[in-house]
Amino acid sequence: MVTTQEKKTEEKWGMVIDVDKCIGCQACVVACQSENNIPVNEEEHFNQRRPIQWIRVERYWEGEFPDVKARFIPIMCQHCDNAPCEPVCPVFATYHNSQGLNVQVYNRCIGTRFCANNCPYHVRFFNFWEPSWPESLKNQLNPDVTVRSRGIMEKCTFCIQRIRRTERESGRDGNELKDGDRALNTACVNACPTDTLVFGDFNNPESRVSKLRKKEMDDHHGRGYKMLDELGTSPNVIYLKKVDKEAKESSTH
Amino acid sequence: MEFTRRQFMTLMGGSAATAVVFQACGVPPDEIKVQSSIQMPEDLVTGTDNWYATLDRLNPTSNGIVVRVMEGRAKKIEGNVDYPINLGKHNVVAEAGLQSLYDPDRISAPLVRVGDRGSGQWEEISWTDALSRLAQRIQGLQSTSGMAMVTDPVGSHLGMVVERFLTKIGARHLVFEPLDRVTLSAAMETAFNHNNQLYSQGRFVMPDFDIENAEYLLSFGADFLSTWVSPVRFARSYGRFRDSDNNRGVFVHADSRFSVTGANSDKWLYVNPGREGLLAQSIAQVIISEGLGDPESVRSLTADGSIDMSHLDPELVSSEIGVEAGKIRQIARDFASHRPSLAIGGGSAGAHTNGLSNLTAIYLLNYLVGSVGKKGGVILNPESPFSDVMPASSGASLDEWSNFVDEIGRREVEILLVRGADPIYGLPEGVGFKDAIERLPLIVSFSGRMDDTASMADLILPEHNYLEDWGTDVPNPGPGYQMVGFQQPVVRPFFEHRGIHHGTRNFADVLMVLSQVLGADLDLSADNFLEILRDGARKIYERGRGVAGDKSVGDFTDFPSFWNAVLQNGSWRDEAARFDSTAPIPPEFPSSIQPPSFGGIDTVAQDVFNLIPFASASLSDGSGAHLPWLQATPDPITTATWRTWVEINIRKAENLGIKEGDVVKVTNGRGNFVEALAYPHPGISPDVVSIPIGQGHSSGGRYSQGRGSNVLSILDTKRTEGTSALAWAATRVKIEKTGRWMRLPRFENTAPELAVDEGGHIIPLTSGD
Ligand code: SF4
Repeated sequence: MVTTQEKKTEEKWGMVIDVDKCIGCQACVVACQSENNIPVNEEEHFNQRRPIQWIRVERYWEGEFPDVKARFIPIMCQHCDNAPCEPVCPVFATYHNSQGLNVQVYNRCIGTRFCANNCPYHVRFFNFWEPSWPESLKNQLNPDVTVRSRGIMEKCTFCIQRIRRTERESGRDGNELKDGDRALNTACVNACPTDTLVFGDFNNPESRVSKLRKKEMDDHHGRGYKMLDELGTSPNVIYLKKVDKEAKESSTH
Repeated sequence: MEFTRRQFMTLMGGSAATAVVFQACGVPPDEIKVQSSIQMPEDLVTGTDNWYATLDRLNPTSNGIVVRVMEGRAKKIEGNVDYPINLGKHNVVAEAGLQSLYDPDRISAPLVRVGDRGSGQWEEISWTDALSRLAQRIQGLQSTSGMAMVTDPVGSHLGMVVERFLTKIGARHLVFEPLDRVTLSAAMETAFNHNNQLYSQGRFVMPDFDIENAEYLLSFGADFLSTWVSPVRFARSYGRFRDSDNNRGVFVHADSRFSVTGANSDKWLYVNPGREGLLAQSIAQVIISEGLGDPESVRSLTADGSIDMSHLDPELVSSEIGVEAGKIRQIARDFASHRPSLAIGGGSAGAHTNGLSNLTAIYLLNYLVGSVGKKGGVILNPESPFSDVMPASSGASLDEWSNFVDEIGRREVEILLVRGADPIYGLPEGVGFKDAIERLPLIVSFSGRMDDTASMADLILPEHNYLEDWGTDVPNPGPGYQMVGFQQPVVRPFFEHRGIHHGTRNFADVLMVLSQVLGADLDLSADNFLEILRDGARKIYERGRGVAGDKSVGDFTDFPSFWNAVLQNGSWRDEAARFDSTAPIPPEFPSSIQPPSFGGIDTVAQDVFNLIPFASASLSDGSGAHLPWLQATPDPITTATWRTWVEINIRKAENLGIKEGDVVKVTNGRGNFVEALAYPHPGISPDVVSIPIGQGHSSGGRYSQGRGSNVLSILDTKRTEGTSALAWAATRVKIEKTGRWMRLPRFENTAPELAVDEGGHIIPLTSGD
């Protein structure tokens, strides 16, 4: 019998993103907005370059008509083991938790924005405005997620509220967390129609992310890479290279 | 017929008292009747959520969704893993359904116009009053043919009620789809149901495409990863097609526009607008002349070799197509040798004057490689499981709309009922619909929000949002086997607090009450829509085939437990009810296709372009423009939001001195024009400009009204030969700068560029070997 004492090491949450499958459809982006009570990005917010998208899809052009390509890549907080945003926070509003998550404590944050300056992935967002919704649209807000007020930072949490709820419920029912459980998956992962995004526990060798990491990072022919790896941030998000039959090995963007 | 207010109240009371029944995934299957807000519903436990299965009605093909409900409010939408169409996936449009439910500008009670038409002055009236006003007007008609109803493509049980109502009353039905499937469906029918081999009776159901298992995918024009036909299903299938463990497939996309789908192909080929069919013919010519095709199909397609195809040799037609002969040959050989291979066509390829022939030629390619009815190919769909309940039909042709406008002009139409469609927004100005309806004595809208057509109505009888409503769907295209999707209310109607005399209603129930008042017997199995659906489900149950969830129909002990199961799982399906594997015999291959003709301006000059409009990835045909999430969703290619832009080739724009954000005037041959913000990019041909459909509503609430412009309005009224559908890609336009500039709100560059050092890459490539 497995007792709680014998419970395996804590989870280490992470993601594997197959860039080859991403079609740029933005389903992940809107799913995240819905799940995480992100205020509507109004026209002015785009014009002032201040829209909030915890996950975003970047589009890169390659070539020109008629030999032209567009490539898409989803980018969110990489939950780095060596997160450059963490040490610069004067009030410890952002720190690393025991499950490998880079978390943001909203009510500690005083809005210095040092963390955003220091994040090489540009995935931290400052609330320049008090968020607002018309009365009826407030009905749709997720009660599990705090609405962030003006003046504080926010970012991707790997949908920690889903992790916590599932942990609580499986603890109550005496079940183990299941890899790929839709209640545990982040909102973007469930939405992605092409299975570009895979979420899971890197400490569980049987999880899909662990298997993909083993196959794609260890093997010489693997497609795995970490974004801006040279900065030594040690991200918990692994990307898989785009496949292009005509490509010379690694030659773009 | 005379009727009294009391009679009316009785009839109305009957439908309003219908209990709302909830079925959640994972809760015990006993029914929970929600009675009043004082007696709390049993599923209302503070802090506990339930996920209810229902249907997404915003996509062109309904997806199964599950909606997270907490304390009586819908909180999140996700795909339903048990639903055969989308298998757990969804998209931005489905996600934004929450905002359509909680749209701050929804109509909360019947309205009657008090000011001038279109002035926006309304007065609330009760349902009793509203329905009796309408009934009186119907009774006062000179002839019953004086009434017409315009709807979105309604099918399944709702379609049946609508048809019966209209037949009994004697009114006509026009189905409105902005980018209609008339030509697509006709081409597929020609290709796969030649001489009615498949469907002796009933409605043709479009086939499904097994993209996942194809090795080589060749598509023409169809933006199937974004907006075309069943985008969630296709995107899911595409993701698997790309799986490296599944022998990653090769995908070539031929199109006159650089679409989301084109961007994701391994090779995007620019084709001169309207020449997609010629390309398909030339590919066929190579396959046949080099003996690479399936011999039996080649025999039928060429009428035993009697059809001469030599004039379609790539060398002879390459300049007309705009693709090098060598490439055509290569594609033909790859298509023939990397089986299973699959050819798909649609979108702008079918929206030219020769669109029907284009698409027919494209779909016939599948026979040459033996892909019809085969894994990795075209999967034919069986008929509807019901004899009297059909999948939705495709829209009315442009000819039908023109005739209708003439009839209105001759004052032969007195009452127009509009449901789920916005023809004022969606029909080109050249059709004259907007001017004509001003002469109509009575316009009645069933819209739950003030769309452009509703704003011109005299009476509005608002229907429920789909998340508050019952329904079924017999999908077209289906997943390759018989299935029925079930839609149930996931929350109580949002305007329930307005009492039974106000608030919103189920559309079918309203029609049924109306017909009772008019003394018309619709010969339905029940007098409310929920019972009709339940009877439909009972028919399925009694036949004993198929499954609900993971349980065979035969294993249910009684009908109520089966009914609970279909609601919990969102569908019934019978994977055994397919077409058997014998492929139909193809018709003869069209050996010549007329060149396309274009509206208005004859030549392509320096400032004259082919206009290829496209359905916006988020706003679709404009039906999503009132939802702020969709307005704020960056377009995948341009990353633009909230406005209307015009895509123009980056070099060409330089020559014309056009920069991003320049307000340009886009004018058709008749002088109709729209203004849009220029977005020059490297992916588009110098001969083409492209404008998204979706904005430019004159009404519709705070998020859509007066925003951007409507490209549909400037389309020439060219028709597709053989179907008379609107050839919406056949317009030529002139581009002029207005001298004004406005910032195009776009996502691109809102985050600083990532700091990549030399040799580092954001998206590294690998040849995959
Ligand atoms: S949902 Fe998936 S395919 Fe769509 S943009 Fe996001 S990662 Fe890419």
